[in-house]
Amino acid sequence: MSQFQRFLAKRIAIAAGLTLVAVSVIFFTLRLLPGSPFTQLVASGNLSEQQVNDIMALYGLNQPLLDQYVIYLKNLVTFQFGYSIRQSRPVWEILGPKLFNTLILLVPALVTTAVLSTLLGMYAGWNRGSWLETGSIVTTTFLRSTPVFITALLVIIVFSYNLELFPAFGMREITASPSGFTDTYLSLDFAYHYILPFTVAVLYYSGDFLLLARNGIIEKKGSEFLKLHRAKGLTETEQLMRAGRNSLLPVLTYFALRLGMIFQGLILLEVVFGWPGIGRQLVTSISQQDFPVVQAAVFLMALAVIVMNLVADVMSAYFDPSVSAGGGS
Amino acid sequence: MSTESADSIRTRARSTVDWLVSHVQFVTTDTPALAGFTILVGFVFLGLFGPVIAPYDPIRASVQNAQGTILRLHPPTLRAPFGTTAYGKDVFSQFLAGARPTLIVGLVGGVATGGIGFLVGLVSGYFGGWVDETLMRLTDLTFSLPFMPMALLLLTFIQPNIWIITLIIAAFLWKMPARVIRSEVLSASERTFVKSARASGAGHLRTMFVHVAPNVLPIAFLYTAYGVAWSIAAQASLAFLGFGDPTTTSWGRMLRQVFASGSIRVAWWWVIPPALGIAAVTTSVFLVGRAYEEVINPEIDDQ
Repeated sequence: MSQFQRFLAKRIAIAAGLTLVAVSVIFFTLRLLPGSPFTQLVASGNLSEQQVNDIMALYGLNQPLLDQYVIYLKNLVTFQFGYSIRQSRPVWEILGPKLFNTLILLVPALVTTAVLSTLLGMYAGWNRGSWLETGSIVTTTFLRSTPVFITALLVIIVFSYNLELFPAFGMREITASPSGFTDTYLSLDFAYHYILPFTVAVLYYSGDFLLLARNGIIEKKGSEFLKLHRAKGLTETEQLMRAGRNSLLPVLTYFALRLGMIFQGLILLEVVFGWPGIGRQLVTSISQQDFPVVQAAVFLMALAVIVMNLVADVMSAYFDPSVSAGGGS
Repeated sequence: MSTESADSIRTRARSTVDWLVSHVQFVTTDTPALAGFTILVGFVFLGLFGPVIAPYDPIRASVQNAQGTILRLHPPTLRAPFGTTAYGKDVFSQFLAGARPTLIVGLVGGVATGGIGFLVGLVSGYFGGWVDETLMRLTDLTFSLPFMPMALLLLTFIQPNIWIITLIIAAFLWKMPARVIRSEVLSASERTFVKSARASGAGHLRTMFVHVAPNVLPIAFLYTAYGVAWSIAAQASLAFLGFGDPTTTSWGRMLRQVFASGSIRVAWWWVIPPALGIAAVTTSVFLVGRAYEEVINPEIDDQ
């Protein structure tokens, strides 16, 4: 095996191990904490003991914890998440569409901001000390360090409640009941509801890309290869493009990591805008104590982070010769 | 050490002071950092004295007009300079009182985050081998468990109070400084003076804390500061979702109340103070932190 293959194998093994541990932590956290999933149901007093036992058996909750754990692991391998307690539907039937709603909001936002903020950051780094650099740093520092729900609240107050330009809540008009993909996601109504949360997400993600790109350019600015390019008579923009190309790796790696985090959604953004995504569903399910849904949602979020972490690691080892693939993490 | 003359102690003290000055001076030369620093000083003042100077009791007292009727959802007036809430409470007083829990969670959470991260990173990077491997896998694990969902889960079962919340925040955030400090330690450990310290018979603990640690202290300070901002943001977010300490008035809880009561449609005066309070503090920490980062990162400081 080549050194890179060995590195790859090691990282994959670590990722698999991490997934197992994370899954176990989630499972046992949910089970060992006080209160069974059905406490509320039983406490409401409408069920006879027989009925309670039947339900427990239906969900496999009468078996020993360890057996439940094994069944749970077996089901996860085939992506079977069980049934929701509250809605009596397969968990995936509930989570799938929500996950899609989250991705359709955040993936375009992330891509947009990665491109725009990186370009802006490169330009800012090239013009170090200009008002543009200071201004863009202060602005993006504000945007990325302020909790996202605060930006969202401020945007809603200005654009929905005062200027009344855009709706503040949901993904479509309350009365609308679209059927099919085109109707749901390619309608004007959808676009109209999309703009505000999309903008806030773009702004929120912008800071890190801008700073990474800026720092990358500043570090490259004094280097030998740029002197060569200058001596060759390339214009400022051409030089900037070449410096940029050579400082893109951290940006790419960061993009991969962020993409993994996207499955968690921006929980608070979704809550503020009433966006029917996975983050908002999780909050609802937690308050309803719908454990199969919670368990599956948290699992998906953890899995996405682990996978994208792996991708980022491998990417930087593959593209950057100065990262030794033989060494640990 | 006992043979050290007074002179050398004096030079050492002076060099410590020089070091401190060089590490604090940046605040005065960088305008955004200076603005951030000023805001932070104001915030600490509010945290210490806010509840004392609040004109009303933030939870019990209601604001009344001259006729004795309770002012509900009233825009800013002389009696209530920031207006009143849907329950007739004074927003200004709540804002003043809400600074304290925000400050406590921020400081304690930040110091715990920086402290744990510092120790883990130091030990991991210094010893390497299986110690490093174990600690780094643990770090990976906390990276993959999503913070907000896990925190929400834990807080549904445990009655939230600010100490529990701080604990959960620190338990999830230490990974950030740990990774960065580990890689700094790795490069410091290669340096000659560390090797010679070991060679001259210094024990592991002594080498680690006396010879390696000072090299990574600036980074540890930086991440402690970031930890403060992260803790404040995390606490406000949890409170906004309804998982805050129900017994105290915090800025996050104020925002939850205005949002959940639906008053956000009209009562901008109830939203702006806590929202800008949180935003100003977290932003300030990062503005100061960024400027400091340029002081201690020679690659960026080159120009």
